[in-house]
Amino acid sequence: MIVEEALLAAAGALVVLAVAVLYRAVRGPTMQDRVVAVNVLGTNTVVILALLSAALDAPSFLDIALVYALLNFLMAVAISKFTVDRGGVM
Amino acid sequence: MIAPVGYALVAFVVVAAVATALLRDVLAAIILFTAYSLGMALLYTLLLAPGVGLTEAVIGAGVTTILLLLTIAKTVRPTDGAALERPDPRAAVACGALALVFGLTLPGLPAVGDPDSPVVAYERVTGYYLSQSYADTGVENTVTAVLAAYRGFDTFGEATVVFAAGVAAMVVLRQEVFT
Repeated sequence: MIVEEALLAAAGALVVLAVAVLYRAVRGPTMQDRVVAVNVLGTNTVVILALLSAALDAPSFLDIALVYALLNFLMAVAISKFTVDRGGVM
Repeated sequence: MIAPVGYALVAFVVVAAVATALLRDVLAAIILFTAYSLGMALLYTLLLAPGVGLTEAVIGAGVTTILLLLTIAKTVRPTDGAALERPDPRAAVACGALALVFGLTLPGLPAVGDPDSPVVAYERVTGYYLSQSYADTGVENTVTAVLAAYRGFDTFGEATVVFAAGVAAMVVLRQEVFT
């Protein structure tokens, strides 16, 4: 029981940290800052999902965490490629 | 203990949504929209609808971002310095009032897992889906079973709409294949 509470508390703390990272994503000032900020948010999400999965005893959450881990990489590459040569995504 | 995590997530989602609406650079708005999708997927998952969360992750954060990036390749960036749009006061008041009205309806909603909520109290409908959905459809998660099997024709209609939109886009762009 205490372990679940601690895992949930850790998840809550990470969500609060995500709000702090969101400030960097909004403020910028450069687009690279925003890309890195969203990348950090994605990694953060994966960790939160893993913590929730352990705390709520729901292994299916790990599937979503996996999808995010894959997607996060794709997002960073797509946005970076777009900013390097603006107009070419694929 | 789970409620504070939910409240923090709601705050995150609201901040991301407002920032998406106000940022003047379209690329920055798209990046913030990704953050918004991350928060929404986490919220859905926290409300024990992992199927919806997975869809939000793939469609909201993945496909939509790529489509929007492809779209803004045809646009130009704002040249003057301001990062955030200064919203029209009347529009801001109208949006705020609408959000307030929606917010006022929130206390009317039953709490998550409330035994007296109508969904649980009318046992016949809910009980049928909870007890029979696996036997009927072979899908373990009841929410996913309702979305993908019981509401299958509805989902089929949605797929038809998406297909029609794709065909219309190709007609407008005068292309015969997706490039």
